[in-house]
Amino acid sequence: MKLDEAKFEALFIPPAGEGKRCIIRAVDVRKIYRMGTVETHALRGATLDIYAGEYLSIMGPSGSGKSTLFNMIGALAKPTSGKVYIDQVDIAQLDCEELAWLRCRKIGYIFQMYNLIQVMTCLENVMLPMSFAGLNSEEAREKAMFILKLVGLGHRPLHKPAELSGGQQQRCAIARALANSPEIILADEPTANLDLHTGEEMIELFARLRDELSVTVISATHDLKMLKRSDRILWISDGRIVRTARPEEVDFTSGDFH
Amino acid sequence: MPSPIRKQVKLPLSVAFGVVMQGIRIRLGRSLVTLAGVILGIAFLMSILVGQSIRRGVAAEVNTRREVKRMMSFLTAETGPLDDRVIGVVQVGPLGVEELRFLKQVAAAKVSRLNWVTRNGAQAPGGLAAAGRVSAVSEPEVGRDASAVLLAGEGEVPGGAAAGALLDGARQKVLAFTRKSATAPDVPDASVVQLERDKPPEELEQERLEGQRTRFRTRWIIVISLLVTVIGISNAMLMSVTERFREIGTMKCLGALSSFVRQMFFIESGLMGLAGSILGSLIGGLFAWLAFSFTYGADLVGSSLDLGALLGYFALCVAAGVILSILAAIYPASFAARMVPATALRSTI
Ligand SMILES: Nc1ncnc2c1ncn2[C@@H]1O[C@H](COP(=O)(O)OP(=O)(O)OP(=O)(O)O)[C@@H](O)[C@H]1O
Ligand SMILES: [Mg+2]
Repeated sequence: MKLDEAKFEALFIPPAGEGKRCIIRAVDVRKIYRMGTVETHALRGATLDIYAGEYLSIMGPSGSGKSTLFNMIGALAKPTSGKVYIDQVDIAQLDCEELAWLRCRKIGYIFQMYNLIQVMTCLENVMLPMSFAGLNSEEAREKAMFILKLVGLGHRPLHKPAELSGGQQQRCAIARALANSPEIILADEPTANLDLHTGEEMIELFARLRDELSVTVISATHDLKMLKRSDRILWISDGRIVRTARPEEVDFTSGDFH
Repeated sequence: MPSPIRKQVKLPLSVAFGVVMQGIRIRLGRSLVTLAGVILGIAFLMSILVGQSIRRGVAAEVNTRREVKRMMSFLTAETGPLDDRVIGVVQVGPLGVEELRFLKQVAAAKVSRLNWVTRNGAQAPGGLAAAGRVSAVSEPEVGRDASAVLLAGEGEVPGGAAAGALLDGARQKVLAFTRKSATAPDVPDASVVQLERDKPPEELEQERLEGQRTRFRTRWIIVISLLVTVIGISNAMLMSVTERFREIGTMKCLGALSSFVRQMFFIESGLMGLAGSILGSLIGGLFAWLAFSFTYGADLVGSSLDLGALLGYFALCVAAGVILSILAAIYPASFAARMVPATALRSTI
């Protein structure tokens, strides 16, 4: 019998932390973008564990590799080297149907540029991942309306993204990420375009998802309120993880936390 | 407990169909441009096929008309004007198109009667028997008061004595042949005329060469029009894939399978191909018809149109349009299906 080494190896990764389940593990993940002769080292060996039910914030200057890290741990692109495990399974070993399942059911993405489908209405955007998951359209419509109300977009489900404000589009993107009740939410600056009040509401929503449904929330953010609400903050700079801390260990009043 | 990672389910075609229909509806302007590419190519193909058929039909029609006219003038040269005359017709077998047309014209002229006899078990043409002035008679009666007796049809010609018997009671003993390549029987006391219907060999050879040249030209033009169609359609499909790079990538990020993406493209191109080629063949056919009506006259073109052939060309063009569209989508579809999801997140298109 041929032994699947990576899957076998994955079985022996000890659960990290005290009784906490490691839902995502990245081991020495590197990503090099090659454009002609120019190489960009977007990630230079990121190693991290993310625990189930954790609210993790990632900080870092523009171009430091946050979005790249998200793509790697979200199974949206292959790292140049290094391994990513989701639920102890090396995702490099998954076939495309399993990857699609993972992207559809397990992870909810909120992209930095929203990536709403422009030709679809807000409601249809939220229904799309549900139809990929095989839900029939009545069930999907009902659930999508519920989620849209949750993010405060219940009053304009039939608008196209182009007809919505930036913040409304962002909320539509958040609603879409919640479509298939994911265990993990990967959010790339999810509150960047929201006003204070709505931003707080969304942060509250993420916190509730974590508290009541043990959803793991990972978000890149510079939003103070969000950082304070999170369980752990992780700093990334020039493709390396340079610091992790709990919010209570960070002095948010000084410039130190940048 | 972590839930095990499973395989994404394959969606029914109707889901892809719905997404495609919506895309087409929303991007109506863009879809119409794509459609126009298909329409143009197929209209070109159809107009060439129909034009070809019309030209052939017109040539045949002109030939028939000329032949009929010649037969008519042969007959009237023997008998004088047909007004109030009795003409006997002995049909020895099935009639050719030209003979039939000629006999119809004779029947339609102001003859007082057309005595009709069939031999060798030939079937008298239906339309003629219904006309008032045609009367089926028994064989010896056919020549009674007749100015001429016509021997028509493809069959055994009665010999000398039998032919003479047919002229019994005729006013003028004229026995005329309308059939091609027949040997006239020798009939005493009668003038036997054979309508010169066979073309001289030089002319036949000329026609054959001409036919060959046209066939070659037609094939060549058809190949070019097919190329135009293929290039038009694949260009349109490629445009639509680059245009939707971001959208497709986003769908893959949200859990769409590659097969779903491929399906979307094939459904879209198939629909475009179907709609475009139906419209294109109608437009192309109509265009050819109008253009040829203009040059040859609507009457000539109208009477040479072959409905069966037209339907055949229509089916051919629609099939070609759909198949070519689907073929043209192979490359864009596999390109889109292979795309790495994350690329969609940076693309601004
Ligand atoms: N597809 C790509 N091709 C080439 N270079 C890329 C690509 N994606 C990212 N990079 C480069 O990798 C580096 C990290 O990019 P990344 O998008 O991860 O930064 P970021 O931390 O998300 O920045 P921001 O806060 O502005 O979103 C940048 O230098 C960027 O130019
Ligand atoms: Mg980014």
